[in-house]
Amino acid sequence: MKEWMPFVVAGLTTGAVYALAATGLVVTYTTSGVFNFAHGAVGLVAAVVFYGLRVDVGMPTLGAVAVAVLGVAPVLGIAIDRVFLARLDRAGPAAQVVVPLGLLVALQGGVTAWFGAASRQVAPIFSTGSFGLAGTRIGWDQLSVVAVAAVAAGVLGLFFRRSDLGLRMRAVVDDRELTLLSGIRARRVTSAAWMIGSAFAALSAILLVPFVGLDAAILTLLVVQAFGGAVVGRLTSIPLAFAGAMAIGLGASFTTKLVVGHPGLAGLPTSLPFIVLFAVLVLSPRGSFGGLGRSGAARRRPSRIDRPAPAGMAALLAGALLLPLFLHGGRLLVATGFLAYVLLFVSLGLLVGLSRQLSLCHAVFLALGATFLAHLSDAGVPFPLALLLGGLAVVPLGAAIALPAIRLSGLFLALATFGFGILAQSLLFGTSFGFGATGAVALARPRILGLSFAGDRAYYFLVLAVVAAGVAAVEAVARTRLGRLLRALADSPLAVESLGVNPVASRVLVFCLTAFLGALAGGLLGTLYRSVNTTSFDFSASLLWLTVLVTAGAATLGGQIVAAALLALPAWFTASYLSEYQALAFGAAAILLAQSRNGLAGLWRRPDFGRLAAEGRLRLARSPLRDRMPPPSGVTAPGVATPGAGA
Amino acid sequence: MKALELDGVHAGYGPARVLRGVDLTVPDGATVALLGANGAGKTTLLRAAAGLLPVSAGTVRLAGRPAPAGADARARAGLCLIPEGRGVFPRLTVEENVALFAGGRRRREEAFDRVTAVFPVLGQRRHQVAGTLSGGQQQMLAFSRALCTDAALVLADELSFGLAPIVLDELFEAVAGLRRHGRSVLVVEQFVDRVLGLADWIYVLDKGTVTFVGEPAQLADGGLFDRYLGSGRR
Repeated sequence: MKEWMPFVVAGLTTGAVYALAATGLVVTYTTSGVFNFAHGAVGLVAAVVFYGLRVDVGMPTLGAVAVAVLGVAPVLGIAIDRVFLARLDRAGPAAQVVVPLGLLVALQGGVTAWFGAASRQVAPIFSTGSFGLAGTRIGWDQLSVVAVAAVAAGVLGLFFRRSDLGLRMRAVVDDRELTLLSGIRARRVTSAAWMIGSAFAALSAILLVPFVGLDAAILTLLVVQAFGGAVVGRLTSIPLAFAGAMAIGLGASFTTKLVVGHPGLAGLPTSLPFIVLFAVLVLSPRGSFGGLGRSGAARRRPSRIDRPAPAGMAALLAGALLLPLFLHGGRLLVATGFLAYVLLFVSLGLLVGLSRQLSLCHAVFLALGATFLAHLSDAGVPFPLALLLGGLAVVPLGAAIALPAIRLSGLFLALATFGFGILAQSLLFGTSFGFGATGAVALARPRILGLSFAGDRAYYFLVLAVVAAGVAAVEAVARTRLGRLLRALADSPLAVESLGVNPVASRVLVFCLTAFLGALAGGLLGTLYRSVNTTSFDFSASLLWLTVLVTAGAATLGGQIVAAALLALPAWFTASYLSEYQALAFGAAAILLAQSRNGLAGLWRRPDFGRLAAEGRLRLARSPLRDRMPPPSGVTAPGVATPGAGA
Repeated sequence: MKALELDGVHAGYGPARVLRGVDLTVPDGATVALLGANGAGKTTLLRAAAGLLPVSAGTVRLAGRPAPAGADARARAGLCLIPEGRGVFPRLTVEENVALFAGGRRRREEAFDRVTAVFPVLGQRRHQVAGTLSGGQQQMLAFSRALCTDAALVLADELSFGLAPIVLDELFEAVAGLRRHGRSVLVVEQFVDRVLGLADWIYVLDKGTVTFVGEPAQLADGGLFDRYLGSGRR
């Protein structure tokens, strides 16, 4: 028993930090209906400000904490609510996920660009001394963290029970419309909730940094672990979220002790929150997560997707065939990478654009596609077969993600895939069929039927052949029954089921196909650069790709090609500032374009009328119903405008 | 003075136009009943008047002034809509509901006294969670919002919806009480007989337009009753 005590103490400490973050998350989600993927990034920004004030300005620690938690974070929260989320009121479920994700990518990218990617040591906030209790050493800092979390939770509880504003927040959660009818400014209440939620994110991040260091990626990820706790509370119950997060902290700590001596399981403790997240979402009774969020009010857009004309595709292919004539050296490599990116975005677009299911774990497919290819090639399997088998080996993973996709949609599918992505990364990347102990695999350029593809130009054509085949396959699928079913499922799963069609098979198939194509893209990219390591395709890449694809336009091949070009852009100009600000730019662009019809590609085809139509003006003017309506009859006063005349 | 004036109001949901040029007036201190078949646009009219639904053409005036934008601003300007079926915060206690209706915890005692004077039964339910009250008690609590505030204009949507007749007496007595206190009332009701005894004016709405305006006696005599309400009284 005694040897467990230190792990109890450590677990309670991390659990307390997760609990604070989870609490803030639930406060914002319940009052606004928007799940803040950027919760951790808000904490990151506050932690950076705290660090700057303390180290660079020389402010006392307590003052720096106060400014970051009570000043910067609430302002950031109110800015997020007013600037980014105000427009989401009537947005579809996809935009409600993409906008906060764009915010996450932009904030994390902005901090990295400005502050550097390197981790920084942070001096302890509390005394580092310790005291003995029943034979266990307990750090004052550990005790202080738990105490701060307990006090913050207690104050929040009192606030909800005893204050008018707290009461109004609970009222907004219960019935937003009725609060309006009661004369309460619900928007202000929501903004206040965002201020409180952001302050909790900031507090948890600042409590965490002395233990783990100030590191953009780790901090975003660690506060993201609060998702697990929040999901335990069904995203709506603060006490349950708090308890769930504490339990996750304890569980992770115990697992740390259990896996000592099992290096293969070293990733288990840190991935426990994501196991919980994934398991709760997948195993909860059907419907537990259905009625949440704002999807009920969502304005559904019909998914009319233009497929490219064969002539256009032939022209693209001809262009791609001629391209190497004008390129050499580094730019030829960039062009080859661009082609592989096309396959990447075509496979992601199959989900995001065609069946409108958000997947935040796409990088896993690419990473494992590359490692499988490497291992198979090492075993002497010829390249084409190895690429194919590697792709097929990833298909079960795609099927595994289809599991939640059958039951979940919108936000909850995004959350489940997010958890799955991080889970797969921490559990599979280190294994022998992943990157192994070295964290990297080497991939040689192949010889096929006596032809060497070692040269860059030859390899370009090999990639082009594979990508063209992949694009053709996806276009073919889009035109078949499966494609029509997927589009129909995106519009109304209920309507599809009422036609007697079981949607499960198509959902599983599309995830398998997307995993397969993603794995091919990973293999091609790995072979291009001749090696792949654990950071080549990590979870933040999944998020970045999604923002890029949404920016460019997920629904059409044109948009997917634009996305590939955008991703290849920094390498083309070999400008480091471009890649530094890439995440910031794409995050911001995704926020701006999340609600447009089809990103940049949609803007290219026609000006975006989507938002105007949402406000009813254009829809009224164009409504076919208008002409069929009988003129108003009865005692209507003369001279009053009819809808048609008024528009 | 007129508590509420709708002038050529058009409103609807997306491409579906529900109200097509509605003119309606609630004089100060009067009780007006709005009748009409299912789908005539009664609830839509109340929602448009309360600011929950944007008006695509026409004007809404409160106490002679253009109504402010937004349901919350109109509530503060003295309009109180009791929505159909779900006018309480189900996860808050009766007391917390009353505190919200009254505009703050400080005013909850006075407001609670007003409520229990009309609905004594709610006095025993003070700390009960509203969602666990009976349907009739929930409707009483919902109606309490009109009692907690001094709103000059009360719009009530189907107070009787799904309730036992015995509860209705108490609710309609409360509506009559509002009138005695000089408040202006606009009620939408299925129980036409009840309303005819209560209202000063009757409006009949059909397919989004007003097809009859008059006193209750006119409606009963003129046969319009059958024409616009189907086969007769309930």
